[in-house]
Amino acid sequence: MKINQDCENCPVHNIGNLKKLGINMEQYDFVVALAGNPNTGKSTVFNNLTGLRQHTGNWPGKTVTRAEGAFEYNSKKFKIVDLPGTYSLLSTSTDEEVARNFILFGQPDVTVVVVDSTRLERNLNLVLQVAEITNRIVVCLNLIDEAERHNIEIDVRSLSRELGVPVIAAAARQKEGMDELLKFVYEVANGEYVCKPYRISDDSKLLSKAVVKLQKEIEESFPGLPNSRWVALRLLEGDQSIIEAVRSGELKNLLNTEISSKELVNV
Amino acid sequence: MKNNQFDKIIAEANNLRIDLGNELHDSLMESIYKDASKIASKVVTVKDESKKYKWDQKLDRIITSRWFGLPLMFLMLAAVFWITIEGANVPSSMLASLLVDTFHPMLKNLFIDWSIPNFITGVLIDGAYLAAAWVISVMLPPMAIFFPLFTLLEDFGYLPRVAFNMDGLYKKVGAHGKQALTMAMGFGCNAAGIVATRVIDSPRERLIAIITNNFSLCNGRWPTQILIATIFIGGAVPAYLAGIVSAGAVVFIAVLGIAFSLLVSWGLSKTVLRGEASTFSLELPPYRPPRLLQTLYTSLIDRTIFVLWRAIVFAIPAGIVIWLVSNININNISIAEHFITNVNPYALLFGLNGVIILAYIIAIPANEIVIPTILMLTVMTAKITGMGEGSGVMFELDSVEQTASILYSGGWTLLTGINLMLFSLLHNPCSTTIFTIYKETKSIKWTLVSTFLPIVLGIGVTFFVTQVWRLF
Amino acid sequence: MPNPLIALTIGLVIGIIAIIFIYPRKGILSRLKRSTRDKERVLIEDTLKHLYDFHNKNLLPTNESIKGILNVSQKKLNMLLEKLNSLKLITQNGDVFHLTEEGRSYALKVIRIHRLWEYYLADKTGVNPKEWHLEAEKFEHKLSSEDANKLAAEIGNPIFDPHGDPIPNEKGEIVEVEGIHLNDLSNGETAKIIHVEDEPHEIYEQLVTEGIYNGMEIRVIENNGNSVKFEGNGDEFIFAKSFCRNVLVKKTKARTEISEATGTLSSLDIGEEAEVVAISKACIGMQRRRLMDFGIVPGTKISAEMKSLGGDPTAYKVRGTSVALRKNQSDLIFIKNIKKAA
Repeated sequence: MKINQDCENCPVHNIGNLKKLGINMEQYDFVVALAGNPNTGKSTVFNNLTGLRQHTGNWPGKTVTRAEGAFEYNSKKFKIVDLPGTYSLLSTSTDEEVARNFILFGQPDVTVVVVDSTRLERNLNLVLQVAEITNRIVVCLNLIDEAERHNIEIDVRSLSRELGVPVIAAAARQKEGMDELLKFVYEVANGEYVCKPYRISDDSKLLSKAVVKLQKEIEESFPGLPNSRWVALRLLEGDQSIIEAVRSGELKNLLNTEISSKELVNV
Repeated sequence: MKNNQFDKIIAEANNLRIDLGNELHDSLMESIYKDASKIASKVVTVKDESKKYKWDQKLDRIITSRWFGLPLMFLMLAAVFWITIEGANVPSSMLASLLVDTFHPMLKNLFIDWSIPNFITGVLIDGAYLAAAWVISVMLPPMAIFFPLFTLLEDFGYLPRVAFNMDGLYKKVGAHGKQALTMAMGFGCNAAGIVATRVIDSPRERLIAIITNNFSLCNGRWPTQILIATIFIGGAVPAYLAGIVSAGAVVFIAVLGIAFSLLVSWGLSKTVLRGEASTFSLELPPYRPPRLLQTLYTSLIDRTIFVLWRAIVFAIPAGIVIWLVSNININNISIAEHFITNVNPYALLFGLNGVIILAYIIAIPANEIVIPTILMLTVMTAKITGMGEGSGVMFELDSVEQTASILYSGGWTLLTGINLMLFSLLHNPCSTTIFTIYKETKSIKWTLVSTFLPIVLGIGVTFFVTQVWRLF
Repeated sequence: MPNPLIALTIGLVIGIIAIIFIYPRKGILSRLKRSTRDKERVLIEDTLKHLYDFHNKNLLPTNESIKGILNVSQKKLNMLLEKLNSLKLITQNGDVFHLTEEGRSYALKVIRIHRLWEYYLADKTGVNPKEWHLEAEKFEHKLSSEDANKLAAEIGNPIFDPHGDPIPNEKGEIVEVEGIHLNDLSNGETAKIIHVEDEPHEIYEQLVTEGIYNGMEIRVIENNGNSVKFEGNGDEFIFAKSFCRNVLVKKTKARTEISEATGTLSSLDIGEEAEVVAISKACIGMQRRRLMDFGIVPGTKISAEMKSLGGDPTAYKVRGTSVALRKNQSDLIFIKNIKKAA
């Protein structure tokens, strides 16, 4: 699959709009979180955008600590946070906790999920989980060149339709697809593109009954909470940080994302 | 009022959890994957198996085969070392002749011209500068070659296969297969090996890998081993066997190190680390063509410069200390000599001597400066004239024969040589590594364990070797 | 220089003494630390636990029963009981002891720590199931209530311990587990094990060795009143009545999932493909979650790709990814529909 050909003439294809700011991020208009499975080229995407050079390797789980950087696009300043690579957001490991709490409490304006095109099915696991927490997602379908070499073809448009979020085919190592990624990150952050993410359908009767019941109570106490189902699930898993957020009523702060999104909660 | 409402939600959640039991996570994951499969099946089409895939499979079959797998691995490792050692020789001696042989006297003359007091010249130039210069010239070239090579293998995808192959062995000692890689990395530099343990995602196995990494004979210790083996082991056998026997001795020490790392891993996993968190997972990524320039750049910046910088920071104060202990006198005898005379009788119990003990204490920042320090101290204490450059000025000689004659006149024997080789393998990690261990574990306890465990082993081993030797 | 023989002997002796002293857990140093530290606390807590346990089983705790548990002299016991009385943790009624309200909540606090620690060991570590209980017996005396709450938060506030016992919450409330004993099942009935009693330890150890675990699905083949013959995971077991009393079960309508399995993943040959039926409930905690993260859930297609040099681990293809699993992991994954991989 050839990407970018049509984009060459498109006005947004102007990499000049991108200013790599490295770690200079005192002021920013938007916060972007970068999530993804280990070894999907997340760090390469991060490096491409910020101009930093974090080490990347053909290894699951290279970036262990959270890295931050910044870039400017269309004269808006973005702070980008590279979350630890995780397979899931549902376990009790420290990495997953950091990633999960940042996406929920840090309230990034956009969460970019970097996905390995050659292992789409497994990577979708994480995408669907992120979609439970936040509505503002851009999926970066990375390593598309490798998928091509393996004779794997992905219908990017249908995937975007199915997931209800922008999906961009990219080959970060060749710096392909970055401009389009930036464009959608910008649009989602700005509110020009409104995502309607796919929500997981429950299979188990026992579970869905419990979730529905709890969800209803949460919505009564926190009307308008966008991710009440996720909160219900986390309560059922005994997640301490969510329990505390509910108990103290702090969860309310998440209601009005428009206003509080600039105040980054340190997690 | 409001708070009650929130508490009610939590109470409700807890009630529901009792009914759900432990099924929640399972059914949730099942639902997610069901949906993921559904979506994937709609958007992904796989045309018939690609050439690339078949090629990957073929390669995998060779790498994991009984007949080729192991030899291939040793061949790769040997090649990496050979390239490192051969390739580093020339730049190392160039750097040394520039930084140590040219700049050092130049700076010293400059200080004398400016009539700066001897004491300050000694501390700054003979102490601080020389130690830093030494560390740079000995450490930089091999690391600048070793790490990129290693990173290339990593990026290509070969290393995860090595971990896969070695896991059977490491499982037996309660460790993770990836420890084979951090250990191999440790042959380059223990500090880098310890940073590399980040790829082990299970806390317990990672701790084991960190604590045992020091048993990999690092880059800074190879020259010591080779030099001592050439002088003492090579010297003890007929000339035509000297080369092969001394090389064999060095390899034996390295293998002994591997044996110790396995043994200690086993011991740790059975005792103190039994209760630490542990899971096994190992994903085999697809082969990817490595990118040369990118690799060169990142491995140089992330690993080489990073480690080198830490080493220099630690070497400078050590250089100062080395100079000071050799030049501050009490009753007309330097502190160093006092120490050496007092410690010597005890050191002899372990087949070592006071000079070696002092050298290992003050040369903690880098194993690279152990030999220069030993030579300086030996010349000083044995009152050899016409050798070296004065008290507190480390030096090395190009000629092995001359080095040997210094050591022999310092009272060294074959037993001293053997024990120095053993002690060089089994002693505390250098301060750069200790600091890195602390940074990675964030635990004083595990840093202390990693520091003192090898010393205790070293003391025990040298003691028994010496006493058994003396029996016969 | 001393005679090498003498030096060697002295060296050996010093070495052995050092090992005896500093050996983790069993060394003199750690024993000393254990025995001096809060010895009284241990005795008090063990007594309270004993009273709570007997109360729950409708047994009457006596002087003798406490003495048996604590293994102390009568004099010491008297002092201890006096202390408990003065702390208002117990009341004495003739020869029989009762827990006060405070005593009960103290006992529950200790039980909470015990079960939390068992959960931690099961969830995060590779410690053998046989040792969970023994480790927790030691650990339960070491934490304060606040530390226990922190521990609970870190491991996701579990509700049940790995044996199926409910964990008291921070307020000291505890739920009841309803279930019947294994020997109350009749021929042909199917059930799920919901609790494996961990005391007495000898019987528990035996049960674990046999491969019995919390969550296991079973079907009774024959119950003749003295012993029960049943099957689970494709194996047959015959347990005497005394054993059956240590296993609580809950009847299920029909055998699900695992009964469909035709083998475990470890039996899959290279080049073969199969469908995952279930991950055994014996695989718990982080291990289980990690397997599911890789996409190993019921219904997943999985094929064996290659074995490593030594034959273990084996790499499996799951949802497009090569994942290496050790044999002790693949033993716990049930599969069906084995066929040649495409």
